[in-house]
Amino acid sequence: MKALRRSTYFAYLSIPVFLYCFIILVPVAGALYYSLFNWAGGPKKTFIGVENFITLASDKVFWQSFLHNIEITVICIIGQIGLALILALVLNSRGIKLRQMHLSVAYFPAILSAVVVGFIWQMLYDYNNGLINDVLAFVGLDEYIQPWLANADMALILSSIPLIWKNIGYYMIIILAGLAAIDSSVIEVAEIDGANALQRLMHIVMPMIRNTLIVCLTLCISGNMKIFDHIYVMTGGGPGNATNVMALYAYQNSFIRYRMGYGSAVSVGILILSILITVLVRRATQGRPENE
Amino acid sequence: MNKEKDLQAIDLKRAARWGFAGRVVMNIYAIIASIGCLYPMIWLVYSSLKTQFEFDVDSFSLPTAPTLDNYVHVLSTTPMFRYMLNSIIVSVVSVSGIILFSFIVGYFVARMKFRGRRLIFNLFLLGMLVPVHSLMVPMYVIFSDIGLTDSLIALILPYICFELPQGIYLAESYVHSIPREMEEAASIDGASFSYTLFRIILPIAKPILVTIGIISFFYCWNEFSFALILISRETLRTVPLGLTLFSGSFTTNYPVMMAAMVIATFPSLLIYIFFSRKIMDGMVAGAVKG
Repeated sequence: MKALRRSTYFAYLSIPVFLYCFIILVPVAGALYYSLFNWAGGPKKTFIGVENFITLASDKVFWQSFLHNIEITVICIIGQIGLALILALVLNSRGIKLRQMHLSVAYFPAILSAVVVGFIWQMLYDYNNGLINDVLAFVGLDEYIQPWLANADMALILSSIPLIWKNIGYYMIIILAGLAAIDSSVIEVAEIDGANALQRLMHIVMPMIRNTLIVCLTLCISGNMKIFDHIYVMTGGGPGNATNVMALYAYQNSFIRYRMGYGSAVSVGILILSILITVLVRRATQGRPENE
Repeated sequence: MNKEKDLQAIDLKRAARWGFAGRVVMNIYAIIASIGCLYPMIWLVYSSLKTQFEFDVDSFSLPTAPTLDNYVHVLSTTPMFRYMLNSIIVSVVSVSGIILFSFIVGYFVARMKFRGRRLIFNLFLLGMLVPVHSLMVPMYVIFSDIGLTDSLIALILPYICFELPQGIYLAESYVHSIPREMEEAASIDGASFSYTLFRIILPIAKPILVTIGIISFFYCWNEFSFALILISRETLRTVPLGLTLFSGSFTTNYPVMMAAMVIATFPSLLIYIFFSRKIMDGMVAGAVKG
């Protein structure tokens, strides 16, 4: 093929590259810059050096929020990937009726907006008219009726359930794709050799979808580091800070309390912690031999 | 190994063999899981057909006299149509931009040898590491400084950029699989570069571009947090933003709020019904590669 002129390269690549730098890189630099100021968003900005970061390092609510991100991630790893794995194995086995229907139904919540998901579950949990309390009253378990999301001890788990519900189908189809890639003759040979279902699962299937599960794990971790929408809708971080998460805390500081400088410092904190966790996860999962 | 290739293959390889009892248990598990996934949505739909009084008395039972009043109420007293229109504009423009730029950058990185090729590719891949929420505050500041907030373009630009790395990644690996002879033949026939790119390569790359389009459509249609900070004017609100803002006025009237949510979800549902297979395949491709 003929070599292209430089102007052609420029014509094609300049717009996306420039746009990308402007939207992603400039704000990253911006966050670093603004985080050095005491600034309420108005014209008056006071340079205070790294003071915001010193405050951040000992900011209980920020670390509490970070811990909530981690807790939700752990709940979701168990709930989403665990349940999705079981569902995928079940749907992948012989003798399942209406397989296609189950697939489509289980995936459906994944296309919903997190805002809609948050509202649906808020209504399910509602004290006066929520479905859960009405069902409890119906079956006579009145003593369990309560304002679910107002319970600080349970609020975090309860606000993770909508996430599990939304994303089970997503992880399910990823795992199914992994299962589909297993050569069925391997399973057949094992069957002939007399391996029972559990042995086949533990010694053949699980090792062979290990990489798929790692993909799920990575997605689950990075996805849960950025939760915001449904928490904002359901609890707004409350009661107290029982369900606050990092992104929401940055939002509250910047746009509710107008502490733009400190909000920027929180953003930088999110950036550093997220990248750190991503790198750690990659390190932990890449060191082992590949199956592919 | 082509994990992402087709879920269809699963049908042929149902690996495990089970006895009768095992099959019954598994079918019951699958049915319970499906009901669990679907019931909250069904509850939403049938409750939206109740009057507020009926809902307050019993939120579980089916409506005794289904009514569309809640829908009429939403469509006549709230700017729901306006929100939908805004969401459609934002989604269509963003998705077009994502597809176009992913294709162009993906193609150049996959095929061309030029200085800065790796730099450009790494630049986009590095962007995948950046958690978008850490950009909320500075983006708001920068956009207000240049007067970009409160316009639909203020949403379109970030949406394009957030989905671009994944799109470029998918497009790049797809272009690798297209034989080089295609371009060489076109070149011998005297086709110009842009002709080759858009008339020969683009149609071949269509499957992956559709995948990129699907993944990014749902992102744009559902995105909330950036709409929340970048849009304040009522007439520019997108659907998720509109929902949260008028939820305040319907806190005591759930059926109306539910009707609004059903309306908000309807376009996604429609697309899902027609393209569910394609959507699932696309999401797997995006997840496994991206």
